[in-house]
Amino acid sequence: MIPRAVSRLETTLLSSRQSLPRPARLYSTPSKKANAPALATVQVLQPDYPSFLHQPQAEKPLESRKVSLENELANFLQRSAPYTILPTPLPSDRSSPVNDMFYPDSTTQDLLSVMDACLHNLYDLPRAKGIFERLRAKPGNPALSTRVYNAFLEAYLTIASTRGPKDVFLEYTWELYEALESGREKFVPDATTYSLMLIAHHRFHEDSQDSAFTTSSPSHILSRIVDRDIPIASVVSDRTMTSSKEAVEIIKLLSQTAMQLNMPRIISELGHAEAIGAQISDTLDNVPEATPVMRVKKNSDSVDEDVEMEIPFNIDNLRRHLAEVTMARRMLSDDVAARQKLLEESVYDVAIERLKHQSDLFSELGLGNNALRGADLQRWMWDWHKKLKTRLDTEIKNIAQSELKAKRTETLFSPYLSLVQAERLSLITILEIMRLQGSGGIYDGMKTTRALVALGRAVEIEYKSQICKAHKIYVPTAPRLGDAGYFSNMGYRSLMQRRVAAAKVMTDGEGWTAEWTQHVRSKIGGILVECLMDVAEVTRVGVNKEGKEISEVQPAFYHTYEYMRGQKLGVIRLNPIVADRLAKDRLNDTLHPRHLPMLVKPKPWLGHDSGGYLYNKTSAMRFKDSAEQRSYLKHASAAGNVELVYAGLDVLGSTPWQINKKVFDVVLEVWNRGDRVGKLPPAVYDSPEPEAPENVETDIKAKSIYMQRQKSHNANKANNHSERCNVNYKIEIARAFLGETIYLPHNLDFRGRAYPIPPHLNHIGDDLSRGLLKFGEAKPLGERGLRWLKIHLANLHGFDKASFDERVEFVMERMPEVYDSATNPLNGRRWWLKADDPWQCLATCMELHEVLESEDPHAFMSALPVHQDGTCNGLQHYAALGGDDRGAQQVNLAAGDRPSDVYTHVGNMVERVLEEDAKKGEKYAIMLQGKISRKVVKQTVMTTVYGVTFVGARDQIERQLKDKKAIPEEECWKAASYLASKTILCIGNLFSGATAIQNWLSCCARLISKSIPQERLPEAMAEIKRSSKTPRKKFTLSDTRLKKEQMTSVVWTTPLGLPIVQPYRKANRKQVQTSLQTVYISDPNSPAEGKFNSLKQASAFPPNFIHSLDATHMMLTALECRTQDLTFASVHDSYWTHASSIDKMSEIIRDTFIALHSSDVLKKLESEFRERYRDYKVPLTSLKAGRLMKELHDLGARLVVTPGQAKTLGALQEFLVISETGQTTTIDESEAQRALELSEEVDACAEVEAAVEDEDFEFDEEAISHAARQKTKLQTEKAMRQLMGKFVNVTDLLPPLPEKGKFNVESIKNSQYFFS
Amino acid sequence: MSFPTRSLASCSSSRHLRLLQRVLRSPHRYFSAAPASSKLELPPESEWRKYFPPALQVNHRVSLRNAETAAKLADAFVPEGSEGKVILEAFPGPGQLSRALLNLPKNRIKKIIILEDWEPYLEYLKPLQKADSRVIVVGRDGYNWDSYQLISELGLLDDVPKLGWDQGVHPQLQFISHLPSTVNGEQLISQLLRTVPEHQWLFQYGRVPLSFLLSEHVYNRVTATIDDPSARCKVSIIAEASAHITSALPSSVLNPFDQHFHPVTSAHAKAADLKRSSRAVGLPFQSMNLVPRQHQLIRKGQTDAWDYCLRRLFVRKATELRTALPGLAPGAQILLKKVTDPALPDSERLDVRKKVNKLQAHEWAILLKAFDEWPFKPEDLTIGDFMIRSKNA
Repeated sequence: MIPRAVSRLETTLLSSRQSLPRPARLYSTPSKKANAPALATVQVLQPDYPSFLHQPQAEKPLESRKVSLENELANFLQRSAPYTILPTPLPSDRSSPVNDMFYPDSTTQDLLSVMDACLHNLYDLPRAKGIFERLRAKPGNPALSTRVYNAFLEAYLTIASTRGPKDVFLEYTWELYEALESGREKFVPDATTYSLMLIAHHRFHEDSQDSAFTTSSPSHILSRIVDRDIPIASVVSDRTMTSSKEAVEIIKLLSQTAMQLNMPRIISELGHAEAIGAQISDTLDNVPEATPVMRVKKNSDSVDEDVEMEIPFNIDNLRRHLAEVTMARRMLSDDVAARQKLLEESVYDVAIERLKHQSDLFSELGLGNNALRGADLQRWMWDWHKKLKTRLDTEIKNIAQSELKAKRTETLFSPYLSLVQAERLSLITILEIMRLQGSGGIYDGMKTTRALVALGRAVEIEYKSQICKAHKIYVPTAPRLGDAGYFSNMGYRSLMQRRVAAAKVMTDGEGWTAEWTQHVRSKIGGILVECLMDVAEVTRVGVNKEGKEISEVQPAFYHTYEYMRGQKLGVIRLNPIVADRLAKDRLNDTLHPRHLPMLVKPKPWLGHDSGGYLYNKTSAMRFKDSAEQRSYLKHASAAGNVELVYAGLDVLGSTPWQINKKVFDVVLEVWNRGDRVGKLPPAVYDSPEPEAPENVETDIKAKSIYMQRQKSHNANKANNHSERCNVNYKIEIARAFLGETIYLPHNLDFRGRAYPIPPHLNHIGDDLSRGLLKFGEAKPLGERGLRWLKIHLANLHGFDKASFDERVEFVMERMPEVYDSATNPLNGRRWWLKADDPWQCLATCMELHEVLESEDPHAFMSALPVHQDGTCNGLQHYAALGGDDRGAQQVNLAAGDRPSDVYTHVGNMVERVLEEDAKKGEKYAIMLQGKISRKVVKQTVMTTVYGVTFVGARDQIERQLKDKKAIPEEECWKAASYLASKTILCIGNLFSGATAIQNWLSCCARLISKSIPQERLPEAMAEIKRSSKTPRKKFTLSDTRLKKEQMTSVVWTTPLGLPIVQPYRKANRKQVQTSLQTVYISDPNSPAEGKFNSLKQASAFPPNFIHSLDATHMMLTALECRTQDLTFASVHDSYWTHASSIDKMSEIIRDTFIALHSSDVLKKLESEFRERYRDYKVPLTSLKAGRLMKELHDLGARLVVTPGQAKTLGALQEFLVISETGQTTTIDESEAQRALELSEEVDACAEVEAAVEDEDFEFDEEAISHAARQKTKLQTEKAMRQLMGKFVNVTDLLPPLPEKGKFNVESIKNSQYFFS
Repeated sequence: MSFPTRSLASCSSSRHLRLLQRVLRSPHRYFSAAPASSKLELPPESEWRKYFPPALQVNHRVSLRNAETAAKLADAFVPEGSEGKVILEAFPGPGQLSRALLNLPKNRIKKIIILEDWEPYLEYLKPLQKADSRVIVVGRDGYNWDSYQLISELGLLDDVPKLGWDQGVHPQLQFISHLPSTVNGEQLISQLLRTVPEHQWLFQYGRVPLSFLLSEHVYNRVTATIDDPSARCKVSIIAEASAHITSALPSSVLNPFDQHFHPVTSAHAKAADLKRSSRAVGLPFQSMNLVPRQHQLIRKGQTDAWDYCLRRLFVRKATELRTALPGLAPGAQILLKKVTDPALPDSERLDVRKKVNKLQAHEWAILLKAFDEWPFKPEDLTIGDFMIRSKNA
């Protein structure tokens, strides 16, 4: 639904358009092609922008942003972000209309997607209609929408116009339209509906005398359009108007009708529409980013000739213009988008072409006959593709044949397989399987489940992108910042209005498609993979026992099962020679563009699933099988709560990049040599195989050691191979984009952290990827920039703990090394290789060398990103949240002359502890004394904030100790255990403030996850269960139902308005029988009970919350950098910009951080909880679980009760405060009575059975202890029974916030090493 | 052979030397001469729970408690006709069976080397050593290869002759053990069986017989034939291929569990344990004698290949061989042709429509022969760690 304000905007825009008279005939259609050179200089007229909208030319960095930032940003953050509140999902065995609305189930989704597939290309209209009728039977079915109705209208109309029978389908059309128009099915017609009805009238009114058509006469339709306040221009430019000729005739018809009905406004609007349609489309405007990268010959869109008109009316022109006006955004010109479009649209065609070409080339060279010598990936793939294509053709026919007899209830797959041609299916299968190789930590293969789902999804995506392509959607350019800025009310509103308008244009243009379920995806994937494995073969040569050469045809992929931690796991593996090739051969076109950087600025985010790539649907957030997260984002997006998050993503996506050619050359040389240089894996694994000891035959121990070593050698070799494959992808992508300006579309994880979508080569990747990338634009360095460049170099080399001056000094002293590295990277002294980040260091050396060698270093145009990293960013946020003075000092929130290094500090603390322990003779203390470097404890310190466990810390430290080789390998594990406990202890002491906040957060999360919405209380009551497991079938009181109803997850809103939902639920797995194997897939649409997740909810909440804060800080910084015209990129807590902009960015980083933490984040979180969980109740019995009550108690939460209540709540004794005044916590006892009755019933049964009890025990002591146990058990049970059926509000139990320290965040302004 | 984590920790030879020296320097730690004669006798059978209270390390180590049964079992393990036996006994518990063995006619047993490292049990074993010169108590764990190496390095088996494989069953050396009802216990027996074809471990001395007291669950797995497809597993086939196994005593003599064994747990605890696994303490026990076959189906050096094939194929044990075989290795379906080659004599051909768990050991041998001759068999036969260590984790 489009909010009221926006549709108003739409109307305003149209009328403002009208007030600008502009005779169409002034423009002439160029006879030359658009890419004719002469045209490039022609000043093409701009479409007029309404005066209140921001003109592109006027975009300049705003003066005095500083002042406005402080006010607007502070005001923005002070407001309480709008909450997105949805109902908690019901347990999977319950349902309600509200629940269906927010969390549709898989069955419905399957129905929808099969209906969609049957409808597509009219594959099986009767079946589609059958499903539709069933769904329609429930008026207002949340699964349906007007768009679905339109899809059917369109299908009926197409059939009526083509194969008929006309009358029947016109009848259907009419019936459906009537249903919409009457509103009895709770959906109303929109522009598309009317467009379709007009087309119907236009095509059939002459030859039909049916009375129905008199009602759907133009005058009827027009008056309905006017009544419903639908702009007439959007009706006549609807995507369903496919022919310009028809459109212009309908416009005429409507004009006549309007004349008759005396509607002057409509007449004039239609006149303008007609005029605009006859304009030339301005593909060569002078918007900066519109400079064409490369011209591709234009698609010959069918332009209908109309002799009567000098300038033919073209519906595309009209549509484009309207889209521009509605969105108040420039559309990407066809030329600019062309390459990206081509890339996304035709990836499979191009790949096929290329493979064919390669294969032809080989046969020409006469290599074709010798398949073994010439064998390489490309040729194999071509070969497989040819076979698979044919195989799929037959297979799909067979499936369709066998499904003809299928029953109504059976799921069909042939409709899905018909959506994409067999040729594409084949290539999708091959490319996806190759791509997934090595995923899931499996050497030379992949988990079947994942592969099948991914493949199914790839088919789904391809189908949808074809739909987009077919409908010719106009892609808006990246949004511009209005004068009002991001943070003012006006700015925010304008962002939202524009986005919603654009989103509407996009969805209207796309038509309706349904999402597939995991079940369907895996089934489709199964069919495809099975066929592939059947036909894809390679020939291997080996030597048999007699030393004769033997060749054998083997499958290229094979399916097998493995045991992994006792679980049987299906795996698809690559034939070893194929896997081998993947690390060596060039990988042209093996990647889909949705895994590649983009050539144009990404499509701005218009909704939760629209943005990024032009044609490939991408979700704005990465979900892990959670319908809940999806639903929240969808609704937050619809309510306009997340505009700035989208805007932030757009900013990140619009940062231009390029490949650093100089670094690339060095990388390529190393790669081709196959050496191990700068973390590049060598072509041939270079560690020697372990030698077999002599006595390996007889000495079982020697053998077992040898086997261990052999195993670890093989594992390392496999690792080397998979790294080699990874690097191969990176190099291949870098090669493909050399000399281009590229963009990395971004999306979010569920905490709101932003990530680039292309997975292989991006700035968030490893040192190599980062070294290969630099900004797409260069900026003059300036004096400060030069200084920052040097500091950056020192940082990359690992000298980052000294003061800035010392870092500059460090670089100056090593200038000869820098020069040597830059000019002779591989054959020189290789100083850069000693750096922590060698490739980035090399890039910087080269840049610095070039700068210093240039005529005027300060004027040098530098494109190298320079980083500013937070010092242990998580702790910085904790320190700021808690106003923790001591912590703030450690993480550079407070000013100091030198950067303080928390890792060294903790390292020293640990050393001191060791010293003391060593005196006591502790073995490991003595062993480790003097060996604790910051590196050993660094990861543990860093991750404690994110809730690292003891086990995690021990593993981290063990890895460090092993790498250091300071102590014998066999002692590492025990030493690590010892050291981990000491380290954690020291950290706890140092950051007591952080610990307090962590405790508070996790306690709140525990409470919330134990709570139940008030309206569910009657359902959640205790029940009597007859236990079938014990031999005598005892009656017991059970709380299974209660636990099932505890479904509440922790949800909170970031200061930018993004709702964050913790997804941790026990997965509800469904068994799916695919052609390949049975897979178990978790069904995101069926929220399993939150039974086992309460601990996870609690332990994950503090780190997730901190991540949501650092994500917010990053987004705020990104937005502000855009406002001040800085280039910006980020890797979570490392912010990048040009060297010359570092000073400005540093200021922004501090301002945004201060503004964020001045808004009292925790207080706001608390009030959100109070609001969000207002009607949620915690059963008193749940308080007894684990240590919850003690923790709550320690944090200061209490139950205030009357003396009378206190007597019945004995089990919670220590938790009670007896009220003198009568002011008490409300305890909801509405269900207590029933619980009491039930428990009496149980007692009655128990007494009868007690008589038969007691013999069982052979040994006296046993019996005694048993009796004792029994007694305590009875006591606790009695106490518990008193608690049953009693509930208390979550909000009454929320403990008070930990007291804030006296550290003032404002002082960060003076800390130069806060981010450095 | 892999004993995870532990064996690697002990691999440094310098450390091993140090250990050995320590053992030799302070003999009392291992050859206890502590004045504990009072513990020469075991506590009354009904009070074992009191003397040997539950402890995590031994909760799943079942020990024979009933003296009468112990006598019967000793006689079944070392029957009449045995002469001058050197017994290596692992996991003896407090030593009821050890005592029964010592009570056999003296000529039958020359020496008993006892491996036990649980201190409360050791207290009842050390007195035996003092009282009977035939007993040597080594305070080490029977699960660890080091213990056996230590025994040989201490020269405790120097008087045992090394016989050829074709020189019959070893007349002297014999291994007797309670098998712990844990994963490690199952792993132990499976690994011991795998040392048979390779002539490793005690089998360096020839065809040494083994005797076990073990849970029925494991017993069934080890002895499962093709008629018991659900219990049939990798171990059953290795056992079938390498040894001749007989039950030592009818199960009625050893059961019900509570009358014969320690620890007896309350019905309550047992029920809870049972819910968790088939290894629960309190389930029936069995005894068996195991004699290595003279003719080994698994040739020396082939154990890894057998292991690989069995493990890979048993993942789909209820599937027909022809369907399961392609999952063995890339291109492995070609082996189907090899094992069904009509040119081969009947005895060397396989019915590939048989399910994996219905194949007999000699049939596996046919498959393994084809596998071994196949030029494209995987080079790396170690399975298990197919995961790539994640780099950034």
